[in-house]
Amino acid sequence: MTQDLIPAGVRTRLRGLRLMTRRATRLAGIGAHHSRSRGAGLEFAQYRAYEPGDEPRAIDWKLFARSDRFFVREAERESPLVAWVMIDCSASMAQADRAKPTWSRLAAAKALAAAIGEIAMAQGDSVAMVALRDRGLRLLPPGGGRRQRDRMAIELHGLVAVGGFPAAATLAPLWERVAVDHLVIMVSDLFDDAAVALIERLAAAGRDVRAIQMLTVEERDFAFASGHLFRDPETGAELIGDGPALRDGFRQRFAAARAKLRQRLAASDIRLADYVLDETIDVPLRALFSAPA
Amino acid sequence: MTAALLLPAGLAALAALLLPLLIHLARRTEVAPIDFAALRWLQQQPRPRQRIRFDEWFLLAVRLLLLALLALWLAQPVLRGSADMTPWVAVVPGADVRAARAVAGARAVWLAPGFPALEQDDLPIRAAASVSSLLRELDADMPPGVALTVFVPAVIAGDGERPRLSRRVNWRIVGGVMPEAAARAPMALTVVGDGGGLRYMRAAAMAWAPPGRPANFAVADPAASLPPLDRRLVWLAPGPLPAAVRDWVRRGGTLLLGAGIVADARMTPVWRDSVGAPIIEGATDGQGRVLRFARVLAPAAMPDLLDGDFPLRLAALLGSRTEPARVAAADHAPLPGGPTPADAARDLRPWLALLIAALLLGERWLATARRRALAA
Repeated sequence: MTQDLIPAGVRTRLRGLRLMTRRATRLAGIGAHHSRSRGAGLEFAQYRAYEPGDEPRAIDWKLFARSDRFFVREAERESPLVAWVMIDCSASMAQADRAKPTWSRLAAAKALAAAIGEIAMAQGDSVAMVALRDRGLRLLPPGGGRRQRDRMAIELHGLVAVGGFPAAATLAPLWERVAVDHLVIMVSDLFDDAAVALIERLAAAGRDVRAIQMLTVEERDFAFASGHLFRDPETGAELIGDGPALRDGFRQRFAAARAKLRQRLAASDIRLADYVLDETIDVPLRALFSAPA
Repeated sequence: MTAALLLPAGLAALAALLLPLLIHLARRTEVAPIDFAALRWLQQQPRPRQRIRFDEWFLLAVRLLLLALLALWLAQPVLRGSADMTPWVAVVPGADVRAARAVAGARAVWLAPGFPALEQDDLPIRAAASVSSLLRELDADMPPGVALTVFVPAVIAGDGERPRLSRRVNWRIVGGVMPEAAARAPMALTVVGDGGGLRYMRAAAMAWAPPGRPANFAVADPAASLPPLDRRLVWLAPGPLPAAVRDWVRRGGTLLLGAGIVADARMTPVWRDSVGAPIIEGATDGQGRVLRFARVLAPAAMPDLLDGDFPLRLAALLGSRTEPARVAAADHAPLPGGPTPADAARDLRPWLALLIAALLLGERWLATARRRALAA
C-alpha cells in the first residue's frame, strides 16, 4: 500500500465507533450482534491451539483425548451486520477546494470508506463496497478481515470520479447484492436527484440506509472574492458571476436545498450527516453511528 | 523655457497605449473555470455587470507610462530657452579692463579666439584677429535675447564692413590700444632647383619683404634636408619628386612645383591669366598643399611673371594672410538686423532614456514581485 487512505490521527478516533443497524440497536440487550466471542456460535469454523486465558469449557475434550493436546473449538459467529459503502463516482465528486486541490470529495469519500472498513474489521463485521459509476458498477462483495480490508483499499485506490450518476438500469445488480437488513452508507454529494432517489428506494425496501453528504468548503462559505467562471462538471453548464454578488443568494438557496434534502431523507428514515472537506472524517461517522438520543 | 517636439508624428506611437489595456482586459476574461457542482443553486445576476475592471492597476499604470514615455522619446522632445540669460561682456584685447571688470553679474570674456575668460590677465597675443569676425562668432554662440556689452579701444582691427549682428550691442569705447599682432616676418621661401625661374622667385620674395628688411629667401640643394614646415618650398629641380618631399607636404608643408613635375594629387587651376589659361594649379595633399606652375617660368611662356602684382598674387596663393584693417572703433559699431542664430535647444532624449530605463526596471520588479506573491 503506497499510501494510507485514512488521514493520520483519525485512526485512533475511530476506535470508539461501532457500526450498528437500526435493528441491532432495537434488539440491543438480546445480544445477537454485540457478542464478539467466536466460540459461542453454532457453526464450526476451526480448531486452534489452546492459549492461556481460554475458558476451559471451550476446550474440545474429545480431541484432547485423541491427541493429548488442548484444542479450542472455534465457531464462525453469525455475522449479523454487512455494511455496504456506496461511493458516488460522478464527476462532481472530483471537486475540491482551491485551497487544498488534492483533497477532493472523492478522496474524502475514499477515506471514509476505508475508515468504515476499519471499524467493520475491528468489530468483526463484514464490509462491502460499491462504486456508483455510470459506465458500470464496481462491486466488492461482502467479506471480513484484513484481506477484505486490503481488497477494499485496492478498489478504492483505483476509483476516479468521472461522468454522471448511473442510470437505474446500471444500478440493477445492487438489488441482488444488498440484502434486506444490510447497512448501506451512501457517500455522495447528493446533488443528483437520482442518488437521493436510489437511497430512498433502498430505505423503502428495508435496507438500513445512512447518507453522508460531501460538501466543499467553497460550497459552504462561498468565499469567492472576485468574478469567476463557474462550471458544472457533470452537465458542463457555465456561469460567469461575481463572487460577492452571488454569495448571499447562493448560501440562502443552498441552505434551503439542504434543509429540504434533510427533510426528505428524514421522511424515509435515512440518517444524514454532512461532511465538509475541512473537517476530520470521523465527524460524519460520529454523527451517524453514535447512539441515538 | 518651452518644451517642444522635433518629431510630433512620433506621438502616433501613443496608440500603442491601447495594447496593454487590451491585453489586460483580454487576459482578465481568461479566468480558469472553477468546477462547481452546486451550480444549480447559483443564480445568474439579473443584469450582469459590464463594469470594466482593472486588476493590478498600479502595474498597468507603470506599463502605460512606460509606453507613453517611449512615444515621447520617439517624438524627440527638446527644451527651448533653457539657456543661460546672463548678460555677456566682451573686451577687445587692449581695451581698458577696469571698466569691464566693474560690470557686475555678467559673463566677461576677451574678444579673442576661443573667448577666454576675462580673469585671465596674460592673454596670449595671437595674430590679431578681426574684431568683426569675432563679434559675429560670439553673436552666433550666444542665445538670443542675451545682452552683450563690448568694450573696445579707440582703434580696432576690423575686416572692412560694419558687422551686422542679431542683437543690439552696447558698444563702449574705452581707452587703450589694440595690440599689434606679433611682428609679421615676411613669408620665407626656399627654392630648390634651376636658375631659370630662380630669379623670379627671389624677386617675389624681395617684394614681400617690408621696406628696409632683407628678403627671407634661401636656395637649397635637392639633396639637402628639407626646410621647416612654415617655410614655403619651391621645387624647380627637374626629375621626379623625392618621396621625402611628398611626406613633407603631407605633414603640412606648402610646396610650389615647377612646370611639368609630376605630383600625386589631382590639380585644378587656381590662378588663370587674362585669357583664362592656367598659370598655377593646385591641390591639397594630406595636411599640406601642392601648387604647380602650369607653364615654364619664363616671360615668353608666362607674361604675368613680369606683372607688378605677381608677387602679391603669388603670396596670396602661398598662404600669406591679408593684414587686418585698422578702423576707428566709433565707426565700427555693429549694426543690428543680422541673421538670428538658431537657438540651441537642449535635447531631452538622453534624460528620457534614463527615465525609461528606470521605469522598465521598476516595472520588472513590480511584475515579478506580483508573480512571487501569487505563487506563494
